[in-house]
Amino acid sequence: MDKTKVKTLQELIVTAAAEYGDKAFIREKNGENDADTSFSQLYENCRRLSAFLAEHSGDEHFHAAVIGATSAAYLTAYFGTSGAGNVIVPLDAQLMGEDLCDHLRRADVSVFFYDKRFGAQLDEIKAGCPKITTYICLQDDDTAEFTLSAVLAKYEPMEWKPIDPKAIAAILYTSGTTGKSKGVMLSHGNLIDNTMCQDNESDPSDVLLTVLPIHHVYCFTCDILLSLRYGCTVCVNDSMLRIPQNLKRFKPTIILLVPMIAETIYKKIRAASEQMPGVPMKAIAADVFGGRLKGIYSGGAYLAPELATGYRELGIPIAQGYGMTECSPRISTANWNDPSVGDVGTIVNGCEVKIVEGEIWAKSPSVMQGYYKNPEATAESLTDDGWLMTGDLGYVDEKQHLFITGRKKNLIILSNGENVSPEELENKFTGLDWLADVLVYAEDGIITVEALFSPEFVQSHGPEEAVRLFREQVEKINKTVTSAKAIRGLRVRKVDFDRTTSKKIKRQQSSQGDKI
Amino acid sequence: MFEQIKELILQYVEVKPEDIVPEARFIEDLHFNSYDFMSLLGELEETFGVTVDEQEVLEIRTVGDAVAYLEKLKK
Repeated sequence: MDKTKVKTLQELIVTAAAEYGDKAFIREKNGENDADTSFSQLYENCRRLSAFLAEHSGDEHFHAAVIGATSAAYLTAYFGTSGAGNVIVPLDAQLMGEDLCDHLRRADVSVFFYDKRFGAQLDEIKAGCPKITTYICLQDDDTAEFTLSAVLAKYEPMEWKPIDPKAIAAILYTSGTTGKSKGVMLSHGNLIDNTMCQDNESDPSDVLLTVLPIHHVYCFTCDILLSLRYGCTVCVNDSMLRIPQNLKRFKPTIILLVPMIAETIYKKIRAASEQMPGVPMKAIAADVFGGRLKGIYSGGAYLAPELATGYRELGIPIAQGYGMTECSPRISTANWNDPSVGDVGTIVNGCEVKIVEGEIWAKSPSVMQGYYKNPEATAESLTDDGWLMTGDLGYVDEKQHLFITGRKKNLIILSNGENVSPEELENKFTGLDWLADVLVYAEDGIITVEALFSPEFVQSHGPEEAVRLFREQVEKINKTVTSAKAIRGLRVRKVDFDRTTSKKIKRQQSSQGDKI
Repeated sequence: MFEQIKELILQYVEVKPEDIVPEARFIEDLHFNSYDFMSLLGELEETFGVTVDEQEVLEIRTVGDAVAYLEKLKK
């Protein structure tokens, strides 16, 4: 694809349809068979939907929200809205009740695309969101006012008018670990810049299995937009229940994962290899992943270097990138051919990064237009000359590799004025079989680590052994840090930490662990 | 059905067979993590030829719950 000719999502869809035509773009399960939607079919369906929306939305420009799992229908809603120059608001499928209504109201949504399972909540949404005039169910449903399939059957494809690349394409809510979510405004130009910033990342022979939530821009840009650019086939993982089966069924060549899934699959491969001593681990890995996997991209959370090394030994490079919703999202990207350990890849083309008082600042055509109707929050994140203050702490080495050391807002400021990044200490607790998770915080000025032991370990070795190893690990870490950063408080908790919907530990939570 | 489920559980977690009783909770007693648990349910789907609802499975806490849910689906 000639990237100089593509400046908007509309042009991306049009160009992908022209170049890849009837090739399968989205592959979904349909019983024992696959149901494919080609690049040109998606383009046509989007324009049919745009024709319906132009007639029913009431406004020339409107905001439409979409909630549900990844599907061709979901993407039709996404591009049928944004391709015609309107704004799409992808919502977290775990939202419900008043929280869902709040997100819909704050984004000024007037059209709502919903997965059938949200049908039961429609009365509450209608009462809570009077601005919404049009409801469209993504699946067939006799009780729905409109269904996508009926709309596509009835309307002829409309001609799309050209869109200004500066126009807002999407409002995406950030799910922070603290505070109220903010609506990140991304323009067509932002999303396209991030799609086009690197080259030769994949080709039309690539098959992806998409397993991450589609409302996250990491999944949307890297699974969907990059596949439109390169002509890849995206297979839909229909349920978190079925990742192992779908890996075998679709035999992906590329997969994007979060570290938790990558780690669990790795542990399974290792356990299987212990049970089958004669079979090489590489052969087991090939069986688990379908035998065609070229590599794994990891993002969303910290990837332990030991895990990256473990996968490399299986012949599957796993590399992590770094970004945030506010940057569409990629700031740095993984490079499978450059296997440095501990970094989050190299800075993407067209992106400038500088470190200001330890904080990573980024400037690129991918940086958002601001937070929707929230100028105060925008001013806190964007400088007047366009630098995005990421809130993350880190550094860049001489080879342009980016390293993350923690979150600025999580910094522990000690009485002597020294700053301690809790993540930096937490990352020293990776790859330990006796440990499930840790949280580092200051308690009465003392750096404290709270541990949740691995239940399997506690059962097989006893809690005393876990406590002994915990103390030993802390002593080991304390020898590697300055005395001000030394961990002096130890707590052990019996119940899991409070977590966000994306399973990250909430930092603001009361301690429930026993002091040891 | 209980015996078949028990056999599958043993492929996921290192517990004693006698610990797998109807009252045993997947997360707390049998030490499943969320991904393991989801994968087990996916395998149960295949084994028993049923389709599990992702929302309904959030209600499943114990081995007995899983047996009852699968038996309901089989009917």
